Amino acid sequence: MIEPIYITGAGVVSAIGVGKEQTLSALNAGTTGIGTMTYLDSCHRDIPVGEVKLSNDEMVQMLGVDNDPLFTRTALLGRLALREALDQAGLTRDRLTDVHLVSSTTVGGMDLREQNHAQEKTCDRLHALMGTHSCGNSTQMIAAQFGQFASLSTVSTACSSATNAVITGANMLRCGLADIVVVGGSECLSRFHLNGFNALMILDRQQCRPFDRDRAGLNLGEGAAYLVLESARSVEERGVTPLCRLAGYGNACDAFHQTASSPDGEGAYLAMSQALEMAGMKPGDIDYVNAHGTGTPNNDLSESQAIKRLFGSDIPPVSSTKSFTGHTTSASGTIEAVFCLLALQHHFLPVNLNWHNAMDDGIIPVIEPRQADLRNILSNAFGFGGNDSSLIFTIDHA
Amino acid sequence: MSQPNMYIQAAEQLSIQQPLSQQWMSEPVLTDHLLTTAMAPNYRDFIDPREARRMGGLIKRALVTTLKVLRDTGIEHPDAFITGTSIGSLVYTERLLDALDESEEAISPTYFMQSPHNTVGSALAIFTHSHGYNTTYSHGACSFDWAVMDAWMQMRLGKIHTALVGGYEEMTQNCFELLQKAGYVGQPGMVPCAEMSMSMMLNTQCSDNCLCQLSGVAMGNLAYRERMRQQLAQMLEAAHLSTTGVSAVMTGKNGNPDNDACYDGIVADLLPDAPLLRYKHLFGENYTASAMGVYAAAHCLAQGRIPDCLHDNNRPARCIKPSAILLVNQMDQQEYSLMLLTKI
Repeated sequence: MIEPIYITGAGVVSAIGVGKEQTLSALNAGTTGIGTMTYLDSCHRDIPVGEVKLSNDEMVQMLGVDNDPLFTRTALLGRLALREALDQAGLTRDRLTDVHLVSSTTVGGMDLREQNHAQEKTCDRLHALMGTHSCGNSTQMIAAQFGQFASLSTVSTACSSATNAVITGANMLRCGLADIVVVGGSECLSRFHLNGFNALMILDRQQCRPFDRDRAGLNLGEGAAYLVLESARSVEERGVTPLCRLAGYGNACDAFHQTASSPDGEGAYLAMSQALEMAGMKPGDIDYVNAHGTGTPNNDLSESQAIKRLFGSDIPPVSSTKSFTGHTTSASGTIEAVFCLLALQHHFLPVNLNWHNAMDDGIIPVIEPRQADLRNILSNAFGFGGNDSSLIFTIDHA
Repeated sequence: MSQPNMYIQAAEQLSIQQPLSQQWMSEPVLTDHLLTTAMAPNYRDFIDPREARRMGGLIKRALVTTLKVLRDTGIEHPDAFITGTSIGSLVYTERLLDALDESEEAISPTYFMQSPHNTVGSALAIFTHSHGYNTTYSHGACSFDWAVMDAWMQMRLGKIHTALVGGYEEMTQNCFELLQKAGYVGQPGMVPCAEMSMSMMLNTQCSDNCLCQLSGVAMGNLAYRERMRQQLAQMLEAAHLSTTGVSAVMTGKNGNPDNDACYDGIVADLLPDAPLLRYKHLFGENYTASAMGVYAAAHCLAQGRIPDCLHDNNRPARCIKPSAILLVNQMDQQEYSLMLLTKI
């Protein structure tokens, strides 16, 4: 057991909506956000994607800022989500003196770089800045609208980036280095990683089907989400009401392959086990698992094995909400954490869309919408290279 | 909370200087090139040549400095691998971008597989079969510093006892030219832009071969100077040191006036009278250059001497026998890190 780490604010943007309200309706209605490519400029129009249904100009307007040619889509998505999280936690500009930000991304500003790469040899300084925009610059750009944070940091572990940002932020609180840390991630779609995943032949040409026998890969998505982590002392001092708690977390390395998960899901098993141990929980205490569940043959089999190893014959309800959003890569960890928060607050099990047939030796996900009083949720995120991490969220019902 | 001591047990580098060697202390390699590559070690001593051929330079160098540290410390599987890299797998990233400019139809999966920033950290774990904690920080010039901070936090929490912490960066001609236009490197009077790999073992146990103690680390926003001063005061108090007990301040001055003026301001705020050291003229500039500062300071403390080549000539005060070195690193004149290394 660790000292309580409260969550006092959350913001989310994904293919199923801007903000928690739209997100909740879509999750309850079972409406996917995955569809035809509209905003990304790629020749692979036949590949479904989970785009945020806003142009960059629309996002600039929503944010109420002047346009800047250096704005990346990742930064705009990040700002929308960060603004909602800060607003909910009541963290105004003058409060940021004591608020730390740990963000995450992998793609960062690749959307701008890939547009200009061919002209880089002869480009001007502005385009040179686009070409050298780093993950850290992405965090700076997201933060800049809101004021001066006490510190900024950026984690980049591919698809588990946001989850690992949560872990860094939690450690900062537990060490007494901070009382409030905003954690999360942001990632836009880019031709760069769409083509990368396509070259790996793990993109489904249909809507992705996590944990289904006939699953044929993932759909890429985009979005951002942030959580405000806060110490008990600060919650009391500020008189804010926590939404839920981060009860435990684990990070382990599968150490198997750069892009494939091990057959026995060793890294996933270790990450989940560590999270349970830190939370002082037994597997039976988990009421729902929000799986990484990308829809690739490899991940879903490996994750199924890891879940079976951990839970034995008593597997709690499991679903992959990537069937709603697509795989939002670096942002997925906190986007799905917000889904977990909504499930805890509004008493429902998010469904796993597009599931029809059980895979050999796989888990059977939740497919019918169900009311459920949930107390503890385990959420998984696994990245390339076997950077596997798990989080446990708990709600203390009055 | 019990607060364990933390030690740098070993630290190895590949850079402009002689590979895996402290020869730079007596015979530094100096270059006036704007862009330099890292000097190659004998890879065969560490990696099967067939395997090495499939690896990019960044991963190969990271692996060699890491394997050297693991060998020297006898720690096969550290509790954590924590990596700092700002631009990560730049070569593969640019190859994929080049290919995309041709066509979206014939993309090699290899370029993409090798392109994420965590490729390095996870490759180290895959190569050494290490299932422990593994993460990567990509936060510009503070990437390595956050990696150290992560290890520091987890050691304080009792979660880990050993951590392989590294800073790894490569460079391409194309990226160098962009960074030059952006004003980050390649300006008149600046140190060379360079590739670097530095791995070190942090350990809560002190052993005979430890180089020095890591007595403190702090990060922050330069907008809050008072907090920076408080952080230093707390760090010194925890290490039972007064301000005069700090033998020298090591900064990341690189000959770029904006960068250097920022350091002057920080030093004036913190320890205006301490002797000044610098390291980027020996190891070059890149985002994880701060790792080379830690490496250099650790070896100075281990040997109980500061070679003349590290002294900042703008300051008459000299430090000959160091007992505590404060490292100052800044990023975009907005953020900073402080690290205090002390002799054992």
